Formats: sequence, structure tokens, C-alpha cells
Amino acid sequence: MSNDADLDFIAQAMPAFISEAAEQIEAIETLLLELEEQPDNRELLDSLFRCAHTVKGSAGIFGLNRVVEFTHHVETLLDKMRDGDIALTPDISTLLLQCNDQIKFLVDTAADESADTAEQKDLRADLVVRLRALTDGNAQPVQAAPAAVKQAAGGADAGPQVWTISARFGPETFRNGMDPLSIARYLGSLGTVVRIKCGIDTVPPLVNLNPESCYLSFLMELETSSSREDIEGAFSFVMDDCELDVVAPETHGQKLVRAIEEMPETPRLGDMLVSVGAVSQDKLKEVLSTQQQTRGMPVVEKAKIGDLLETQAGVPPEAVAAALGKQQKLREGTPSEERYIRVQADRLDAVINLLGELVIAGAGATLLARESHQVALIEANLHMNSLIEEIRNGTLGLRMVPVGETFSRFRRVVRDTASSLGKEVNFEIVGGDAELDKSMVEKIADPLMHLVRNSLDHGLEPPQERINAGKPAAGKLVLSARHETGAILIRIEDDGRGINRERVLQRAWNRGLVEQGVVPPDDDINMLIFEPGFSTAEQVTNLSGRGVGMDVVRRNIEALRGTIRLNSNPGKGLQVDIRLPLTLAIIDGFLVGVGKSKFVLPLESVVEVIESGGDNVKVDSHGRHCVELRGAVLPVVRLRTLYTVESSLPDRVSIVVVSSLRGKFGIEVEVLLGQNQTVIKPLGRLFRTLRGISGSSILGSGEVALILDVTSLADLATGALHGFSAAQTPVTAAVSTALSS
Amino acid sequence: MNERFELPAELNIYSALDTRDALLAWIAEHGPKGHEYLEISARDVAEIDGAGLQLVASLSNMEQAWRLIEPSDAFTDACRTLGLLNWIDGRSGKAAHSGAV
Repeated sequence: MSNDADLDFIAQAMPAFISEAAEQIEAIETLLLELEEQPDNRELLDSLFRCAHTVKGSAGIFGLNRVVEFTHHVETLLDKMRDGDIALTPDISTLLLQCNDQIKFLVDTAADESADTAEQKDLRADLVVRLRALTDGNAQPVQAAPAAVKQAAGGADAGPQVWTISARFGPETFRNGMDPLSIARYLGSLGTVVRIKCGIDTVPPLVNLNPESCYLSFLMELETSSSREDIEGAFSFVMDDCELDVVAPETHGQKLVRAIEEMPETPRLGDMLVSVGAVSQDKLKEVLSTQQQTRGMPVVEKAKIGDLLETQAGVPPEAVAAALGKQQKLREGTPSEERYIRVQADRLDAVINLLGELVIAGAGATLLARESHQVALIEANLHMNSLIEEIRNGTLGLRMVPVGETFSRFRRVVRDTASSLGKEVNFEIVGGDAELDKSMVEKIADPLMHLVRNSLDHGLEPPQERINAGKPAAGKLVLSARHETGAILIRIEDDGRGINRERVLQRAWNRGLVEQGVVPPDDDINMLIFEPGFSTAEQVTNLSGRGVGMDVVRRNIEALRGTIRLNSNPGKGLQVDIRLPLTLAIIDGFLVGVGKSKFVLPLESVVEVIESGGDNVKVDSHGRHCVELRGAVLPVVRLRTLYTVESSLPDRVSIVVVSSLRGKFGIEVEVLLGQNQTVIKPLGRLFRTLRGISGSSILGSGEVALILDVTSLADLATGALHGFSAAQTPVTAAVSTALSS
Repeated sequence: MNERFELPAELNIYSALDTRDALLAWIAEHGPKGHEYLEISARDVAEIDGAGLQLVASLSNMEQAWRLIEPSDAFTDACRTLGLLNWIDGRSGKAAHSGAV
């Protein structure tokens, strides 16, 4: 029965294991790539080891022997690297990356033995052979040797260093004619004694003392330029009868401190130190019994276990301090690490959907309360609404994840793609901690990947060509993210050759995307690469193997209510800017009315509102005209004309000035209805083609409002969409001039 | 002179056994009765080694309270070398007690 229960449990927990292991595997990859850049970073190496260890450990729980066996070899290599026996070379890094791929494969196919083909088995066997060749080849028979070598190498040019020498003399020391006192004196002559602590607590009381037996021990910190051999030389005649531990500068203590920090929560000081190997169990017992002897004395006189451990067991003081600190933290009950809960995404989505309904219902209630003119009810409603708003922000915040996770996946892609193309590239990630809605992060990954590959493939030149062009041989690719007024800006920047406008234009002419002979403005030529039918078949296979062209990239980004802009500097590089709204679900809106129709503008795009002279202004068939705003020409689009809303135009109308990527422009409306929380609902299929509208929303009154898409409205206002061949009306010509100035 | 114990000039491994026996005898005789502290004088100590120092240290692990009187330069120097200066300071002050360091 219990066996069945176990199996049940395993079956249930398996998806969680796989998703956690996937995270660890991703982390391993990231860490490896970071480690390539900073091979001396001990912390990275330790984290790397931990990740591999975690994968192995949890795979063991689930009985995934293939994962355990294979990961074990990887772990062995990492352990050797931690010991300093093996240094990370590009070859080892590549090997480890390949091993990581194999671990990923094994985890992914954990439930399916048949997926493990003979080919994969061969590959795995080959990897194991290579791993073992590294680890076995470097195995050292004498454990102390590599440390000494490492120290000698490090000590030669480092000047005086502080060594920690812990010596516990055997009982025969005096009888053999040796004396700890003279050894301490001699050590003092090698340099400066920073600290010395002599353990006399182990000396038996006078009655039981055999005065010719030695019970002494000492712990010395010696600052000296002498080598380990010199220091150990001082003990050469007592070596057989002495427990000596000469610890290289700092490392031992630091190592212990770190181990303590990383420990699961073990409350007792001694236990902590034993489990990190700072002191043996036997020594701890010994020390504890010494402490027992001081029982019953006043508290101030009582020997502290920490002090005893320091003097008698030679535990580095910083390790004791770290252990004490950890103990303190545990007592205070503060969690030492941030805690996470794993939540299924669809549960969160359900909450957010409900929240959307709540916002609408709340708005309805507020409306009713206002109509009732009961002050108390209105106040209660206001309070409730502000709470709803907080819940809204908090809940949407739950879905926010740093884009860095997605970005770091690209490191590997960049590394592999660049090397297969024979190009050198320095890849930088900036602002990876900027947060974005989880669903957006997932959806943006593919388009980003495509753009990154595109930069590598078409943007960056081969090293020789770069050198000829007077650039450094290694190209630069920067992926950055930052927040910008309610949106996130993701930028892919390279210092390659940029877009060759002539070739793009030629191709556009050839493919009939632009009328032969017509030369659109530079920016429009650049954007042609996103037109359907522009990418050639050859490019598609070259780049992605997914059959995704640049037009799909743009479509995906626009489907997220995002925009894409190119800033090409021929010969110098290309900058691709992707702007995405932070969330797909709810925005702060500015409600306006035209006739009986209601429209919502994203609040963050609204700059100001001005008055205008209604019907006196002449507009063209698209509802466009211009007004003067503080001496500048402001293009304005009249919603009533644009969407042929039936209403009688009042004498005075309002113009909402909004800012867009194309600059400021005005939207002429009749009524201003103020700010409201807008739950975005997608438009029905019929309305998808409607320009300037990105979605709809249900108001508290049950009415439907259309959400205006400022960017595409800007295109409408400026007439840019009418293309390169259409003759422009005098008004739009003026508008275009106004915008470009 | 009975009230204090004079450590020998040569406080080393060669004299250690004798010194211990002499000390034990003296303590048995003078014990804590009537005295707040056992007074141990190190003013004559001219030569000292680890064994000698250990012998004095073992006093600290006994029940009786004791204090150190007039430590000689040689004695102080040895204590300094082994980082025991605090310990003898603790023994020579008025507030000295037995017990752990």
C-alpha cells in the first residue's frame, strides 16, 4: 500500500521536479557562461556546483538513475575545479555546456526510456569518458600538494600573507626535548604574530597533572612572506606527535564561513561547525566536556563554547562568529533567504480575470453610489475602489518577472551562433532586472531570439572585415531593457554594418513592395525589412530554422500591443527598439466621449488637454487638421470624422494632447470623462482591421468603450500609412512637416 | 614567607616534577583556609619553558582561587610568546578568580 502511495506521490511531484530541474539547468548554463568571463569567481563556481548537486540530489529522490549517474561525473569535475586542481578552460567550458545539454535531455525524457536512443547513449558515454579523462588525470595522491602548489604560486608575488597555524602537541613533546614555547618563538621570528591564543584549558588540574606530558596547543595567525614549507619546518621535529594545520591565508576561515551561511537550519553551534568540517565530532565532545567542568560557576566565568572551540579545536574565529551569527538569525526567526512559492500560472490567470470583473463591478457600484447622492455610500465606494486598485497593482505584480531570465538564455545562442559563423562577439546584457508580465516574457522570447540572430548573422561582420573597417575584431551586441512610462523598452544594439538601404530598396522594388523608382524616407526603407515577403527563403533557413521571417517578428510584437523601431547607422551599427506595454490585462485609462461613443486613452500617453473651436476647423476626409500649440503646429485627428460617429458637433471641443513615438499629436473629442481603470478585452475578429483601436473595455455602466491605440492613431494623424506613392494632401503635408521638425 | 609559594628560578621540564610535588604539598598545607587566594610568586623565575608554563597553567583548572605575584621578565616574556598575557593579567589583579580563561 505504502508503495502505491509513494508512486502516487512521485507521479504528482514529478512535474514540479522537472520544472525545478529545468531552472537549475538553465542556471548552470548561465553560470558557466559567466564563469567563462570571470574564471576566478569562486562564488560562481560554488553556485555551479550547488546547482549540479541539487539536480543530482532531487533526481535521486525520483529514482532517475540515468540523471544521477551522469550528473555525478559532472559534479566530480566541478568539485575538482573547486579544489583548484583543474582550471576552467574554454574546452572544459564547452564540455560542461554539452554535459548540461545532456542533463537537460535526460531530465526532459525522464518519464520516457525509449527517448534515450543509442545515439544519445553513445554521446553520453563519450561525455563521461571525456569527463573522467579530466578528473582522473588530475587526481593527486597527496592531498596537501595541490594546495601547497597553489599557495606557492599565489604567495610568490603577493608579499606577506596571514597564515593560520593551529598546532596541538602530543603528550611526548617535552620528553622528546621539544617545546611549544620555543616553536612559537621561532615562528615569531619568521614574521609578525598577528594573534596567538594558547589552549590551556585542556591542561589537567595540578593534582592530575603529569608535568612531563604536554597538553598544550596554540592557534597562531602569522603574517609572513615565508612559504608553507618554512612554517611547517618549525614543526619538523614534533611532526610525528603533533596535530598541525597550516591554513593558507584566509581561505580556510572564509570557506567555513561560507559553508555555515549556506547550511540548512541547524540550531546548535557545535553541530554547525562539525557539519562544515571546522571541527571533528570527537574534538567537539572533548570541548563540551571541558565546558561541563565549568558548570555551576557564575555566568561570566563560564567558558564559552565558542571560545573553547577557538582555542582548543583551532576553529577559525570567523567561522565561530559566522556560526554564532547564523544562530542569532535563527533565534530571531528571520528567514535567511527569500522565500518563494510556486503557483500554477492558470490559477493566477483566473485570479486576474476575476480581478478584471471586480474592477468593472466596482466601477458600476461607484456610478450607482454617485447617482444616489449619499455621501457615506460614495465615500465607502471610493475607499473600496482605492483598495481594488492596490489589489490590482499587487496582483499584476505577481505576474511580473525579470526579463533577465529570458535574456540570459541568449548567451548560449550568441556564443554558439557566433562561433558557427566564425565571428567574435562580446555579448552584454543590461538591465536584466527590469520586470515584465510573465506571459509577455514568454511571447517576446522568440521574436527577440530572431532579432539577436539576425544581428549576429547580418549585422556583425567577420573579424577581418571589421578590422578593415577600422573596428575592433570582436563585435559588440548589447541586449538591454528598461522601463519607460508604462512600457518597457527592449533594445538590441550591435556595432555591425547596419542596414544597407540601397540593397533593401532594390529588393523592395524587385518584390513590388514599393513602386519602382519611388524612394521613401530612410526610416521607412529600414522598416521594409519587416514587410511580409521581404525575407528570402535563404535567410529563413539560415537564421532560425523555424521558418520565422522578420514580418512574423513584427506581427508578434504588435500582437502584444508593442512597437518595433529601427535606428540604423550604416557602417556603424543597428539599434532595434521594442516597446512593450508592461501588462496585457489592465491599464490606467483616460475616458473620453464623442457623441454617444466612449473611448479610452492610455493615461500615461496623455500630456494635456486644450480647448478648440469645434466645427469652425476644416478637416480632411480622415478627420485630420492642425492647431497651434504654444507656437508649434500640432496635428490633430478628429475621432468623430475618423470613425463617423453620429453626433452634432458642439461649438467648443477638447483636444487631448498625447505623446507617441512619432511625437505629440492631438485627438479631438467632445466630452472628457476622467480617469478610470480599464480592463482590456480583445476586439472581436470583425474589428481587428479597425485602425487606431487596440481593444475594448466594459465600463461600470455596462457600456463598451474602445481603447485607442496611440501609436497607430499617430500614423493615421500624420498620414504616414498612406505610403510612399500616395499624393499627400496639403494638410497632411503640413502635418508631416510639423512632426519631422 | 609561608604565605606565598616561590616558583623556582628554573621553571622547566627538568624541575617540573619536583615543582609540582612541592606546590601540591604547599597547597595541602596552606590551602584556601584563612586565605582568600593562594599566592604564587614568579619573581625568581629566570628560565622557563613550555612545561613550566603548563604547570602554572594547570593551577587555573583547579578549584582553588590563586593569584600570581610579581612575575619576572622571563615569565612575562614566555606568556607573551604564547599569547597568555591576558591570562596572567587576570591572575595578578585583585579581582582574579580561578576558572576558565
